Amino acid sequence: MSDASAAQAPARRTAAVLRCARFSCALAGLLALLWLGLGARPAQAAANYLQVFIRTPYLELHTGPGRGYPVFNVVDRDASVDVLKRYTDWFKVRTASGVEGWASAHDMEQTVLADGTHFHYDVGDLNAFTSHRFEVGAFFYGDYGGASAISLYGAVFANPNLSGEVSVGQFLGRASDGTTLDLGLAHIFYPQARLAPFVMLGTGVVRIEPKATLVQPDDRTEQSAYVGGGLRYYLTRRFFLRGEYKEHIIFTNRNQNQQVDEWKFGFAFFF
Amino acid sequence: MEIRLRILLLTLLLGLMGSLSGCATLRHLFGHDAPPPAAPADDGATTDRTATDESTPPRVIEPEVERRKIKVPRIKSQDIELGGYLGTLNIEDFGAHRVFGAQIAYHVTEDFFLQVEAGRSKAGRTSFETLSNISLLTDNERWFKYYDMSVGYNFLPGEVFIGRNRAMTSSFYILAGVGSVDFGGDSKFTGNFGAGYKVLPTDWLAVHVAVEDRVFNSDLLGVNKLASNLEAHLGLTVFF
Repeated sequence: MSDASAAQAPARRTAAVLRCARFSCALAGLLALLWLGLGARPAQAAANYLQVFIRTPYLELHTGPGRGYPVFNVVDRDASVDVLKRYTDWFKVRTASGVEGWASAHDMEQTVLADGTHFHYDVGDLNAFTSHRFEVGAFFYGDYGGASAISLYGAVFANPNLSGEVSVGQFLGRASDGTTLDLGLAHIFYPQARLAPFVMLGTGVVRIEPKATLVQPDDRTEQSAYVGGGLRYYLTRRFFLRGEYKEHIIFTNRNQNQQVDEWKFGFAFFF
Repeated sequence: MEIRLRILLLTLLLGLMGSLSGCATLRHLFGHDAPPPAAPADDGATTDRTATDESTPPRVIEPEVERRKIKVPRIKSQDIELGGYLGTLNIEDFGAHRVFGAQIAYHVTEDFFLQVEAGRSKAGRTSFETLSNISLLTDNERWFKYYDMSVGYNFLPGEVFIGRNRAMTSSFYILAGVGSVDFGGDSKFTGNFGAGYKVLPTDWLAVHVAVEDRVFNSDLLGVNKLASNLEAHLGLTVFF
């Protein structure tokens, strides 16, 4: 016993040294990245930036992209700024004298381009909710045949009424766990309404991993089909809520197919 | 006879000279390089012309000004944040161990963001295992793997000052979500909530310090209970 302990001690020490070395390497990597970040300067000459002209008495520049960050500079009327980049509803701009700061989308809407047209940034509205190209959402609440479920979905719109959808999910229950992948079509009625109902039809695969303590059955992957419906409710900007019900038919190799009800609720955004 | 010959030779000589210099002398005949028209001689002449123009209707001047077409350059957006983290996870009953993971976030507004995290840690031995020298879990089952989807909210934005010349923006945030933990040969539906603080040395880089708790129902040790797994980590993310 004591020999074994004596033999294990150097091995433990080596492992500890290795762990320490790996941790040090990771930390050094982090610090190197941080250093690079601190030393980096924006590429000024090469990039071609949008130039806008101030038409209000002044344009306020904040230190950061948020209403809580203080105003540290103002740009006078008729002066121009270069728009460097955007973070959510804030634009990083550079004045003619080289001062860089953040201006809100609301203030930027008051500026004009060189051809006299107004600068426009689409923050999303009911019209965009009616007609858009892509949307992505997450279902934070889900019930898949009694099991808790989480899922994500993405959709591509052919027109305001019809979309193709992909949904990936995981369900975790007492009897079994599993993952689902659905592919289908959704038809939205009254897409111009704030509360828009829709129906769905599609197919998919489900991987079921039964939980058993005595006899361990095999995991199985089955094909499924679904039909369902739900509601979409436009909240604000690019956000909307989505709740839906799907009835899945799982095509098993037993005598009877399996029917699973799924309820989901979450929110999504379009772009 | 001799005089005739001289006249003929002189004529030929003149003809030859004329043909050699003709290119330069004849080009004005077709209006090339025509001299500019003479300027009006004096004011009196201009007045006379104005008097004659009044009898004819005024010409409408059509400006041939083309509006400038602005090609609007694409504005680069930085709503997506991607990075990794390293920290310590306290797995209930199995001790505290190093955890590492990756995170991706989409910032929808300056306040709200959606975040997906995935990480892993390896659990140690319970007190029972240490004392009795019996292993409850296999080596593979000791991996604590998780992922979650959360909604976050930024609050208390501010600035951090380093020295006299450097200011970095900063913000606190809270987040809550749902996810899954794979541990002890079983997957569990998990609720997670936490809070963090981030500092941005530049616009595109953020350093995070965050504490999160992952809670799930566990019957791993024979009794069904709510297992709480607290994690603290240091992360580095890049906006793009």
